[in-house]
Amino acid sequence: MAAPMEVAVCTDSAAQLWSCVVWELHSGANLLTYRGGQAGPRGLALLNGEYLLAAQLGKNYISAWELQRKDQLQQKIMCPGPVTCLTTSPNGLYVLAGIAESIYLWEVSTGNLLVILNRHYQDLSCLKFTGDSSHFLSGGRDCLVLTWSLCSVLQVDPSRIPAPRHVWSQHTLPITDLHCGFGGPLARVATASLDQTVKLWEISSGELLLSVLFDVGIMAVTMDLAEHHVFCGGSDGSIFQVDLCARPTERERSFQPEQDPGKVFRGHRNQVTCLSVSTDGSVLLSGSHDETVRLWDVQSKQCIRTMALRGPVTNASILLAPVGMLSSDFKPSLPLPRFNKHLLGAEHGDEPQGGGLPVRLGRHQQGSEPSYLDRLEQLHKVMCSTMEKNVLGGQDQLRVRVTELEDQVRNLRKINRDLFDFSTRIITRPAK
Amino acid sequence: MTKKRKRQDDFQKVKLKVGKKKPKLENATATNFKTKTIHLPEQLKEDGTLPTNNRKLNIKDLLSQMHHYNAGVKQSALLGLKDLLSQYPFIIDAHLSNILSEVTAVFTDKDANVRLAAVQLLQFLAPKIRAEQISPFFPLVSAHLSSAMTHITEGIQEDSLKVLDILLEQYPALITGRSSILLKNFVELISHQQLSKGLVNRDRSQSWILSVNPNRRLTSQQWRLKVLVRLSKFLQALADGSSRLRESEGLQEQKENPHATSNSIFINWKEHANDQQHIQVYENGGSQPNVSSQFRLRFFVGGLGAVDEGLSSAENLKGFIEIIIPLLIECWVEAVPPQLAASVGSGFEREPLQVMQQVLNIISLLWKLSKQHDETHKLEFWLRKNYLIDFKHHFMSHFPYALKEISKHRRKETNKSIKHCTILSNNVDHLLLNLTLSDIMVSLANASTLQKDSSWIEMIRKFVTKTLEDGSRLNSKQLNRLLGVSWRLMQIQPNREATETLIKAVYTLYQQRGLLLPVRTLLLKFFSKIYQKEELRSYRLRYRSKVLSRWLAGLPLQLSHLGSRNPELSTQLIDIIHTAAARANKELLKSLQTTAPRIYDPQEGTVVVLPAESQKRLVQLVYFLPSLPTDLLSRLSRCCIMGRLSSSLSAMLIGILHMRSSLSGWKYSVKDWLITDVDYFSFLFSTLTGFSKEELTWLQNLRGVPHVIQTQLSPVLLYLTDLDQFLHHWDVTEAVCHSLLVIPARSQSFDILQSAISKHLVGLTVIPDSTAGCVFGVICKLLDHTCVVSETLLPFLASCCYSLLYFLLTLEKGEAEHLKKRDKLWGACVSILALLPRVLRLMLQSLRVNRVGPEELPVVGQLLRLLLQHAPLRTHMLTNAILVQQIIKNITTLKSGSVQEQWLTDLHYCFSVYITGHPQGPNALSTVY
Repeated sequence: MAAPMEVAVCTDSAAQLWSCVVWELHSGANLLTYRGGQAGPRGLALLNGEYLLAAQLGKNYISAWELQRKDQLQQKIMCPGPVTCLTTSPNGLYVLAGIAESIYLWEVSTGNLLVILNRHYQDLSCLKFTGDSSHFLSGGRDCLVLTWSLCSVLQVDPSRIPAPRHVWSQHTLPITDLHCGFGGPLARVATASLDQTVKLWEISSGELLLSVLFDVGIMAVTMDLAEHHVFCGGSDGSIFQVDLCARPTERERSFQPEQDPGKVFRGHRNQVTCLSVSTDGSVLLSGSHDETVRLWDVQSKQCIRTMALRGPVTNASILLAPVGMLSSDFKPSLPLPRFNKHLLGAEHGDEPQGGGLPVRLGRHQQGSEPSYLDRLEQLHKVMCSTMEKNVLGGQDQLRVRVTELEDQVRNLRKINRDLFDFSTRIITRPAK
Repeated sequence: MTKKRKRQDDFQKVKLKVGKKKPKLENATATNFKTKTIHLPEQLKEDGTLPTNNRKLNIKDLLSQMHHYNAGVKQSALLGLKDLLSQYPFIIDAHLSNILSEVTAVFTDKDANVRLAAVQLLQFLAPKIRAEQISPFFPLVSAHLSSAMTHITEGIQEDSLKVLDILLEQYPALITGRSSILLKNFVELISHQQLSKGLVNRDRSQSWILSVNPNRRLTSQQWRLKVLVRLSKFLQALADGSSRLRESEGLQEQKENPHATSNSIFINWKEHANDQQHIQVYENGGSQPNVSSQFRLRFFVGGLGAVDEGLSSAENLKGFIEIIIPLLIECWVEAVPPQLAASVGSGFEREPLQVMQQVLNIISLLWKLSKQHDETHKLEFWLRKNYLIDFKHHFMSHFPYALKEISKHRRKETNKSIKHCTILSNNVDHLLLNLTLSDIMVSLANASTLQKDSSWIEMIRKFVTKTLEDGSRLNSKQLNRLLGVSWRLMQIQPNREATETLIKAVYTLYQQRGLLLPVRTLLLKFFSKIYQKEELRSYRLRYRSKVLSRWLAGLPLQLSHLGSRNPELSTQLIDIIHTAAARANKELLKSLQTTAPRIYDPQEGTVVVLPAESQKRLVQLVYFLPSLPTDLLSRLSRCCIMGRLSSSLSAMLIGILHMRSSLSGWKYSVKDWLITDVDYFSFLFSTLTGFSKEELTWLQNLRGVPHVIQTQLSPVLLYLTDLDQFLHHWDVTEAVCHSLLVIPARSQSFDILQSAISKHLVGLTVIPDSTAGCVFGVICKLLDHTCVVSETLLPFLASCCYSLLYFLLTLEKGEAEHLKKRDKLWGACVSILALLPRVLRLMLQSLRVNRVGPEELPVVGQLLRLLLQHAPLRTHMLTNAILVQQIIKNITTLKSGSVQEQWLTDLHYCFSVYITGHPQGPNALSTVY
């Protein structure tokens, strides 16, 4: 089997012909386009390899496409306000959206809005999950980066307000981007801010590992998969490379500024808005306000390809193409449910769900698995409910049956009388 | 002479007469001299191998003398040792083990002088031995110490406390590591265990009773005081040591993550890019490799094998509390007998007060320790259950008394003598005593037990409020306690009114003038802590205290009033303001908006007088301002220009304003945040100009000063700026250029720029050189094929360009200051001539050489030659060939009378090479250079 294909998924804020375009990364061939709406910055997410979600720029809905039916907008997920950022969990179970200063968490399987988190003081700018979906990070205009543990957020306890696991407040101007490295809860997180710094944090301990000060505000940040380099997109259009694992070189170096590629990718004429590195770490994709998407060779810092778009680029990311994107007969395993606008606990007025068991995946991570006794009880309840339903629902049937039986009795009586009449007539007939 | 006579002479009889002195015999021994003993302080023999002290005794001799039976010898050996070690400090390292084992052995010596000498020696040694040096020998030291503490002789016990003092001061971590033995010793020093039948049926807390020793030199109260002072010092060290490891709740440790920044790396990108700084991030270990392992095969050399837990576990702490608190209460009762306290007339002596102080200190330290272990509030509950009643009975019944009694006492003291009173107030702080007591008591209460405790809590609350309201002379220690109590009171009482009065009381204290910096800092921290706590609540529950918001809103004004007087305090203020602004606190933003013109005033605003780090924070604060009106922008632009913000900060400010303008964000972002485009452009243009309108008009009247350069060929006069100002202006222009470049509609922004130039600059006759250069630079960068240059601008540019070039060519070598400008200005001039050929043409047309004096002719000639030689200009010069030829001809005719000069021949040659295109060999070219 051939290696999975890498594609570049890009959106711009004008969206004249299409709202989202998919290119083959190395040849630049246009594979797919999706139509309908303009995706906002940090608002494009692939859900479970089956759906493409795009938060709309300045509008309060999220567009969802089925990956293979590109022309047709599958669903508009209405939200309480304009969505500023959007992400999905890598296991495809949850959708996170930043709406004003709140984080909304939906469950994909049911469409329920599970929780609304209000710990940011100003609008959110970016949301990211860790690779194992156990934690997520949020950064906002209030200069804070919060790390949340998904499990503790999901524990249903109305009395307790969910608290983030870490609050990182060392940035002094709004957070513009964050990138979560590899390794689940042990991952390192890079955050970029307008205060001209990029900081590297550790999720497990919550410690600040590294802070790099630049000359310009940083608008986008990403790392390669091996976490050897951090790429930082500046507001002046340069992309800076920070080497995380560099030993001081002993060898003598003659002064040859021309030959050394340096650590800056130059070419964009306006602020860089999004960055993404391919899985092998050889190619860097960048989108900018100057309406181009550029593809760079990381080793030599040269621009390989420039693709012009119609407006400032809002999203550009390199993905491993999921099956659904390439084969047309692919069907999503689950239909996308209707996403609720109201919090799950708050909708008492609605009809109770028809005997369905709320199964929440990832529950085992909380350490408090429902015991078998609980499950038995649940099962028993369900069985009881069906029995009750049978009994209660059978009343009509009973009436019908009663009438049937009454009819039968009547029939029998009639037959009996007829028999009696007949026999009396025979007996009382005068003998001849 | 006869023989006879001779004989007579020999045997002349001496006659002795009454009343006359007896003549001395000739053979009498003279006894009138005085003798002195021969004193040999030094040995004559020099020991070449080992260094010796003044008495020529080496370390071995001295140490062996320590075993001498005579106390005097031992003492002199100790003194000699001190002498020796102060002369040759390196001996300490070589013989540390021997020295320590001998010196510590005499802690328990019978002779007081020897012990004194030993203590003095230890005092001398301790600062010179590092903790890690002494740690292998510390088991020995502490064994001797505890043997001294438990010695049967009182004198040794007393001196052991001095040893303890020294060790506590120098090696707090080591000595607290042996706390389990030492704490027991402390208890034994002031009490003894009942070994009688009481032990059987009573629990262990009752088995210790205070001991009274009538033989002691001191009264037993004085003795107890001494011991208690040491005990509280010891516990303090213990509490400090453990709070360093854990995050504590106290007011002092307020940072969210005190050790978060400790091992993170801070890197400057530029240095990283130049390979000057390297980053190494480790797997799972953060920024430092994790090599130190906690594993030890044996814990202490010669130790018992068991880990010395001390008070580090909750159980041990509980046990210690059970023993010590009844003793402390006994001490308290003896110091303040109930009947005495009840009677009105008697005041407290100094000693009882000190004892009370120490008792409370120890209890509060124990509480602090217990809190560190207390995850589930179990210990707190236990403490409350066991001791609340006792404390209420013994301490709280006197609580209002305490103040009254002491004040009376103090009045009495003042009658006696002022001197005594000052000593007293130095030693005993009745306020601190009361506060410590409140601290202890308040920590026993919590929200659930509020009902039961309301009586005494109310008492404390009143006391605290009163102290806060007239607390102008509190020192930082008292205030720390006081705020700690207030904080706890607020926590246990969610009631708003009560909280509000407390905050108000703190606020009245805060508003007083002339507070010391640490006091002010503590108050600020207290408020910011309350503020953060309020913020943590969710939106629906969030309740804003009026006093708190008033405090917050007052901060920007305070900052602007403070000026440069106290940069530290300003930094703290800026921190709080920044946090609140980032969290979009409405009141703060409103007051910040009104104060912004004062803070960002270019003359004496806070932003220009503070150090660079604070300036950076203030510049970043601009981002959060709700609106940026025109006057504020003009102030900011002045700040950028004047050079009191560094050029990188100015660039940052320009970048932030770019972010705030409508030209950066997405089309659909929030509208009310933006500055209007007009304001933004005028900000950029006035920053680009580098001089205010007033300054420019003032410049117009300058004539004949050395700073103004004048030529006959150009109407524009140049004003020479200082080099610093020039470079700053140049750097700021870079940032402005970038902001202009990223605006999408290039031709429109160019039109705006050139109309601004023609409106504000074209009419002027005196132009600063930096302005001219920067205008050229911006035009060069902005100009592209879509832009159309207006007709009014061109002559201005041409004459500016000539003036600049004239200035550059007449520049003498001596003016080192202006020489640095040369490359930048030359580059700007040449690039504008290359980009706009019409400017070149206009400039050439204006060179009417017949008007100029003879001294300017060589300059014109040199200029033409340089322009001809410059490769990018060559094609443009070719198109203007006739014009150039005309000028050269004119020059030649003007100079025809005199001797042919070198510059003229060079010019002719260049012209012939580049314009008329006579093929010349390369060797001919090389002669030119």
